[in-house]
Amino acid sequence: MTDNPSPPAVVPTSLTAFFWEGARAGELRIQRCQACGMYIHLPRPVCRSCHSFDLRGEAVSGRATLYAHTVTMKAFHPFFVSRLPYAVATVELAEQPGLMLMTNLVGVAEADLRTGMDLVVTFEALSPELTIPVFTTAASIGASR
Amino acid sequence: MKARRVAIVGVGYSQVGRHTGLSERHHAAQAAIAALDDAGLTAADIDGSTTWGGDAIDFAYMLGMSPLRWHLNVGVSPAFVTPAIHAAMAVATGQSETCMAFRIMMQQPSSATLATGGAMLGATSSEDTQFLYPFGNFSPTQWAGLMMNRYLYDSDATEEHFATFASIQREHATLNENALQRTPLSPAEYLAAPYISKPLRLLDCDYPCDSGSAVIFTTEERARDLRQPAVLVDAVSLSAVHDMNFEVMTDMSHTAPAHCAEQLWSHTDLRPTDVDTAQLYDGFSVITFQWLEALGLCEPGSAGPFIAEGHTRLGGSLPVNTDGGACNVGRRHGANFCIEATRQLRGECGDRQVPGAEVAVWANAVGPFAGAMLLTGA
Repeated sequence: MTDNPSPPAVVPTSLTAFFWEGARAGELRIQRCQACGMYIHLPRPVCRSCHSFDLRGEAVSGRATLYAHTVTMKAFHPFFVSRLPYAVATVELAEQPGLMLMTNLVGVAEADLRTGMDLVVTFEALSPELTIPVFTTAASIGASR
Repeated sequence: MKARRVAIVGVGYSQVGRHTGLSERHHAAQAAIAALDDAGLTAADIDGSTTWGGDAIDFAYMLGMSPLRWHLNVGVSPAFVTPAIHAAMAVATGQSETCMAFRIMMQQPSSATLATGGAMLGATSSEDTQFLYPFGNFSPTQWAGLMMNRYLYDSDATEEHFATFASIQREHATLNENALQRTPLSPAEYLAAPYISKPLRLLDCDYPCDSGSAVIFTTEERARDLRQPAVLVDAVSLSAVHDMNFEVMTDMSHTAPAHCAEQLWSHTDLRPTDVDTAQLYDGFSVITFQWLEALGLCEPGSAGPFIAEGHTRLGGSLPVNTDGGACNVGRRHGANFCIEATRQLRGECGDRQVPGAEVAVWANAVGPFAGAMLLTGA
């Protein structure tokens, strides 16, 4: 155990590398079927709608609505101890009904969280190697600029 | 192939408790011997073995069972109901005459241990968990927190209803000498307990422990000659509606139990109004709420008020989790609901007996997958 524990190691695969490269470039990318246009998350080798194997990560708008959230009060990994409490959320991306992404909420007070509220993506570097897409409100983004 | 009618004829537990120091094999042996004794059977009578936890073949050989005509080690699946249903199906199809289903579960490391790095849950990220772990999502309490948050939004339930639920379960546990938690619990005490993953509180979680459970299935015909009043399997259902990523399910309030219940009722002439007692998984209390609605035991979205009105209490119109539930008897991963349903239908539950119980349903899991079994007294 060290004073500054590392975040969980992400080992991208050929299927998932686009997501993490996108996050480092400040872009939310979601796997999309090049044959039928369906977005798929989490990434899979085949399209569950048309069975095409021609799938690629594509940039999406980063707009989403809040489906559900939970405020984590207990850490289950050393890295997150100093971050408590933090909000884990499931958001529905604007691109497709039912296209869900699990993420964190930042820059919004817990009391202001409302199911169904509009959110936008932003990015947080957890380490030099790892940047994660997190969500906040448009107002919060405006305020920080 | 004509299906044979199947009965539950023996049930048993190991020495269940916190960090018992006993191995998986030890728990399996204790539970199996208790179930054989309950049934009046010997190891030589058992020719099928299924388990989640440990190895069904290893357990059978260790206990001197007959050569197995059927065996299964369950991987990730809806708790005890999976080995139970597979045991029942083996008997129904004639692959096994008498099959024992196990659930052996060892207490997992605490959050405190995980937080200090004393055990590593998220050391390496697999293809799917890399979309969960970097966001600090490691524990089932977190998807349960998401599910409960959305359920509070979608339904008529309030946190006070959850408090009432916990209090009623504990009330039942006070009548069960095998429960690990038997001190009465007021709704206020529930509300004062810490959040783990808000809105999920500590007392919404089942109670971690080491446990071994075993249940013996055989034919209705064979059951007639055995020690206990036979309890018949009327219908079973084993559903899956999503891969294992609970966190990205599109409708967290209507998950696999809804599909599973629809399938269950399609296999029987019995109706929800025929159920005398329901034993519904409470790994997290929101799961019991979902099952009450999914099975049609109350109106959609109304499990909270239904509980608050006292229906699920012993003496109410539909006593639920009469052993106290896994929050109080400890994490037996669904097996306690099978065993309690069986004992209620035998009429051997003493102070917590549901008078005249003839039909019981027990059900496990939530989210991506679910299983249920409808039982009747002989």
